[in-house]
Amino acid sequence: MTRTTILHIDMDAFFASVEQLDNPALKGQSLVVGGLSGRGVVAAASYEARRYGIHSAMPIFQARQRCADLVIVPPRRKRYAQLSRRIMDRLSNFSPLVEPVSIDEAYLDASGCGRLFGTGRQMAMMIKQQIFEDVRLSCSVGVAPNKFLAKIASDFNKPDGLTVIEPDQVLSFIDELEVGKVPGVGTRTREQLSKLGVHTLGNVRGLSTDLLVRKLGKFGYRLMSLAHGQDDSPVTPDSPAKSFSSEITLDQDTRDRFLLENYLLAQAQSVGRQLRLHGKNARTITLKLKTSDFRSHTRSRTLNRAVNANEAVFQAARELLNRFVINLPVRLVGIGATSLQDEHAPAQADLFDETDGNRFHKWENLDRAVDAISERFGGRSVTRGSLTVSAKLRK
Amino acid sequence: MKFSINKSDIVDVLSKIQGLTSRKSSLAITECIKIKAQGDNVHLAATDLETGYEGTLPALVEAPGVIAISAKKFYEIIREFPSTAIEIQETENRWINIGNKNVQFNLKSMNPDDFPDRPQIESIDFIEIESAALKDMIDKSLVIGGMGEDKKPHINGIWFERLTDQSPAIIRMVSTDGGRLSKYDFVCSHDMQLSAAESVLIPKKGLSEVSKFLGSKEKIQAGPYESYFVVKSAMEIFYIRMLEGSFPAYDTILFRDEGIDIEMEKEPFLYMLKRMSILCTDNYRAANFRFEDNNFIINAANPEIGDSTEDMIVEYAGQAFEAAFNPRLFIDAVNGIDDNLLKLNIITPKKACLINGAENSAYVCAIMPMRV
Repeated sequence: MTRTTILHIDMDAFFASVEQLDNPALKGQSLVVGGLSGRGVVAAASYEARRYGIHSAMPIFQARQRCADLVIVPPRRKRYAQLSRRIMDRLSNFSPLVEPVSIDEAYLDASGCGRLFGTGRQMAMMIKQQIFEDVRLSCSVGVAPNKFLAKIASDFNKPDGLTVIEPDQVLSFIDELEVGKVPGVGTRTREQLSKLGVHTLGNVRGLSTDLLVRKLGKFGYRLMSLAHGQDDSPVTPDSPAKSFSSEITLDQDTRDRFLLENYLLAQAQSVGRQLRLHGKNARTITLKLKTSDFRSHTRSRTLNRAVNANEAVFQAARELLNRFVINLPVRLVGIGATSLQDEHAPAQADLFDETDGNRFHKWENLDRAVDAISERFGGRSVTRGSLTVSAKLRK
Repeated sequence: MKFSINKSDIVDVLSKIQGLTSRKSSLAITECIKIKAQGDNVHLAATDLETGYEGTLPALVEAPGVIAISAKKFYEIIREFPSTAIEIQETENRWINIGNKNVQFNLKSMNPDDFPDRPQIESIDFIEIESAALKDMIDKSLVIGGMGEDKKPHINGIWFERLTDQSPAIIRMVSTDGGRLSKYDFVCSHDMQLSAAESVLIPKKGLSEVSKFLGSKEKIQAGPYESYFVVKSAMEIFYIRMLEGSFPAYDTILFRDEGIDIEMEKEPFLYMLKRMSILCTDNYRAANFRFEDNNFIINAANPEIGDSTEDMIVEYAGQAFEAAFNPRLFIDAVNGIDDNLLKLNIITPKKACLINGAENSAYVCAIMPMRV
């Protein structure tokens, strides 16, 4: 049996690095990518900014407090996606088993590629070199016998790092590894483990599985396997999307239902478009709200039929909003679509003409026409009248 | 207030009203049952603001009075009560004592004056029908539920019609979820008085609550009164707030001269459908029906699980016909038919398939195909 070798490739401060790449004036600057309004959160921070303790998911205003001459750049998702595709394409030249985890990170199963590309280390070096030559961006790579360790390894020596964990180094690596670095171990789990005298992942091996499962539930089994260096989760290429979503942090917190509805309309358009683009229908629509106390609230509803028309997504989300009691001003609204099924899956036909199914079917056709126009003439060519009105109102 | 009641007289009613009192409403009092002791009886009342129940039970009343008490807790106490005779007494400040010599419960109660008023129902032009017959009509119609949270009145309600211009007259219920429809005719006997009246839309939810109380040989009265549909027996009365709205025209769907009739035996068809629905999931509910050369073939292919095929000999000499249906809808329809021989009627793969008993077509279902 061939030895399993997994690579985890993680782009260094991806969004921020892309901005520095496209605008050389930004090189060496403390830079974050995020909303300009000062109400958003940091999507990515350059390494220069990280020295001030700025990290992603931090509110922009906090980041500003930490670094006076912080440069804030609005995100350009399209550009990131374009580069991401090129990087993923590169990776697929090395192995058919590439699993993109997010826009800037992927697993690659290199088992059995030894004869073509040499050892895991040699392969990782080639990948780093090729990506740099192609898009002028650096990445960090972890090489290990499984996904879990590969991910930890890539984080070990950032930026532009390369860390290899050979099979015979696995246990000593785990013995040193802070348990808080293990995915799934949050602050609370770490506290619980600390009470048991566990500080490194290696310490976990000293406990009984029984005790661990009693304390941590099902995750106890997983943690015990990891402590023994075992993780057999496979690299699964192209795992089909399980959900689509869209959300927006508002310019100003609001309790105004009319305004919130209008934002929802825009989110519904985005979600509907993603669904149609991927040839999917969704049966479950989720409304996500974040209130001014930063608490997230979700409400979802499973529909009788799977939909992808903007109008259908919007109606479901609006109904959820109507039933939500707004006690605090809302700072973020979003819509998620799950329970996806193929758009060509058979759907119950309607007896009567005016029912939802037929109506949404007509909306869907309209949406597709608008999608096609937007594709040719840009995203704003055709939009809902109420969205243009609300855009003006907000200004 | 103080009275004593037999456990067996009241426990059944308390169980049946839980569907009304367990519903969340804006009024906390609707979680209560109102009990009024007077004469030789207690009068019970429960409501979810849409559907209301009132009933009278025999009791030994020592001191008359009215209370409103949690229907859920009252039911649980009565259900688990060890003895037959149970004493209920209001002590002070709306504390209700329920007990016998050995068992004592003290329950807080609410102000009975807050209990919603019920409509005053005068003598009305009711239909008189056997309780069991009305239950049969309701239950057959409720098979087609109100698909999830659909807000459409014609899907949330059952259409109630009186066809008095024919002899014998007919009481009809029509039910739909948008993808299928059922019609059930109750043929009135000649001595039944049935006067013409507008058709009404009665919520399925309310009818399902009423149905729990029906089923005996007793003659009961039913009919619309102002904005309510009222069902009344000697000792009980229900009033359901009717839905505003009309019902889509269904005649053209159900009554058609075209199409090809296919006769089928009920049992084999039902088992075939059950087998074919094994591979149907929430995400993939279609099975392909094919009629060709005296053969009927069902094929269910679920890309996530696998596929199945089965065939059966039927009399069919028309052109090959093929359409996808949700077999579960056929199972529901077949279960409602009493005849052993079924009649299907098909026209095109885009139109509804009709299904009813070969002899008796009082109950007819129309099932739309699936878009593939």
